[in-house]
Amino acid sequence: MAQRKRLSQHNNTQTASQLKRRSSSSLTQDEDEEATFTQPSTSQVQRGLEKLSQAQVDQKTAEVVQYFLMKDQKKVPVRRAELVKYMVKDYRTIYPEIIKRAARTFEQVFGLKLVEIDPKQHMYILVNNLETPARAGPVECPTNPKTGLLFVVLSVIFMKGGIVKENLIWHTLKKLRVDPGQKHEEFGDVKKVVTDEFVRQKYLEYLRIPHTEPVEYEIRWGPRADLEVSKAKILEFIGQLHEQDPRSWTQQYREAHGTQTPGQASRSSSQR
Amino acid sequence: MRKSRSGGNEETPRQNGSSGRRRAEVDGEDADSSLAGLLDEDDENDQGLRREIRSKYRDLISSVQQNREDLLSPSNNKLTEVLEEANKLFKDVRQAREAALDAQLLVVATDLGKEKASQLFSDGNAFDPTAFAEHLLSFMGLNRLEDDRQNEATSDGYLPKDAWHRLAKSTECCFRTAPTFHYMMGSFHAEPPPPKQRVERQRRVPNKEAQRIMPTQLKKMEESHQEATEKEVERILGYLKSYHQDDPSTPISYYEFVVDPNSFSRTVENIFHFSFLIRDGLARMYLDDDKLPCIAPVEEGEVEPAGASTRKQCIISMSPKMWKEIVDNFEIKETMIPPPETQNE
Repeated sequence: MAQRKRLSQHNNTQTASQLKRRSSSSLTQDEDEEATFTQPSTSQVQRGLEKLSQAQVDQKTAEVVQYFLMKDQKKVPVRRAELVKYMVKDYRTIYPEIIKRAARTFEQVFGLKLVEIDPKQHMYILVNNLETPARAGPVECPTNPKTGLLFVVLSVIFMKGGIVKENLIWHTLKKLRVDPGQKHEEFGDVKKVVTDEFVRQKYLEYLRIPHTEPVEYEIRWGPRADLEVSKAKILEFIGQLHEQDPRSWTQQYREAHGTQTPGQASRSSSQR
Repeated sequence: MRKSRSGGNEETPRQNGSSGRRRAEVDGEDADSSLAGLLDEDDENDQGLRREIRSKYRDLISSVQQNREDLLSPSNNKLTEVLEEANKLFKDVRQAREAALDAQLLVVATDLGKEKASQLFSDGNAFDPTAFAEHLLSFMGLNRLEDDRQNEATSDGYLPKDAWHRLAKSTECCFRTAPTFHYMMGSFHAEPPPPKQRVERQRRVPNKEAQRIMPTQLKKMEESHQEATEKEVERILGYLKSYHQDDPSTPISYYEFVVDPNSFSRTVENIFHFSFLIRDGLARMYLDDDKLPCIAPVEEGEVEPAGASTRKQCIISMSPKMWKEIVDNFEIKETMIPPPETQNE
């Protein structure tokens, strides 16, 4: 607690008022947290590190790593705000150091990459740093059928230029016996899975088309998809499926194998 | 953006929806000079024209929104026609309201224009989601039905249960998802159920065997019982008749008849068997002068019809002590009913 007093007055008062507003939704609390948490400068970090022992910092890093791994089970990104509030707490002055060490642990121990997908809201996700092996690994992991559903949605969007109307997705899924209007035996409420779950996991973005009456939405790849999904591999799979050379879809091929990062490519080609 | 349009947009903030009798600054940049004549027109006509223009704009906007798909189709130039129509209408626009409608129409039209442009994205080999879906279905192992009736978009058949799993497995390589951890120990649920089943099974087996034994035993016993009872009853009847025949005048004492001085259990059995005779009306019991029960067989002709008015019941109880007393008092030396030859007990 002694440390807290040495922190800026700013942070101190905010924390106290936040405790009073415990009943409000976690989202607004996180936003308040965001507003108050300013990334400490390097000198602040240095000073903070001097006050703590190596063991303490390691312990805190380990806790943060565990928090990430737990959260990653649901594939929902972790916000900096919730990290600071629940995990880092008193150690906020050395927050950057903790993140740095956690990222190193992920890379060296787990073969994962800690990526900040949203620099504004400071959201992190974990991505596999290793290339998926060509053949199945020795350990049998149970497959999640939702991956198949996600694959279909992502590939349709990709092949159609990076952004499609939601109706096209529903139309395609209906052909696959997945009707958003009916409860599917594997996926349940399909519409919710696509427009809510996948969006929260940052695989997709569900955006409203302006000036449409009645309201229509379009779907595009989300930031996690940009990082995790390989367009080249999707194209290859589709080529095999249609028994066509992937190169026959020239534009998509260019995009998949282009020098641009996938995120840039999809954004530029849709020409909004 | 057309020149005349920009002129109109600059104008709109200044006009406050008042009548169209404004300066020629309105049409300053407009090439069409015939508009000057409109300024001198009647207020009423003007109002009517304003309404007409607005309604036409609204019609155009709604038609664009309704026929969105139609306008998007690359086979026609309907969108261009709409824009030309709007151009014509704009020439008569004077007030802010109409210009606002015109602006709205432009927004809707440009949205459509953008969509049409994005349709040009696919060059040559277009990607057809429907065909994609068909291929996926085959990949997932759809068992098509035998007859290809219509070969339409809907392909009948059964999708196997693991269809989506199969797809997920094959497309795993496209994802660089961080593997999530799970406890290797598994859940606690695994432990309790197996022992329960085992216990149940063990219990069930002896039951079955026991059941199998039971019926056969029962059958034997039942048969033996029934037969034995019937045989006994008949035998006793035979003895009763023969005793009666020997000496019809002398009444047979009930106790002398049934009591076996050598065995209490035999006595009870005799009483039991004799009661059947009474029940069936084959023997009768009466009290003699000394108030002692006497029995006699019922003659053929005397058999009363069943369910007759004389329906009397009595309960005879006997304890070993009583039995002893009777044996002593009546001086019963030997049993009148010899025990049966086959011993089933």
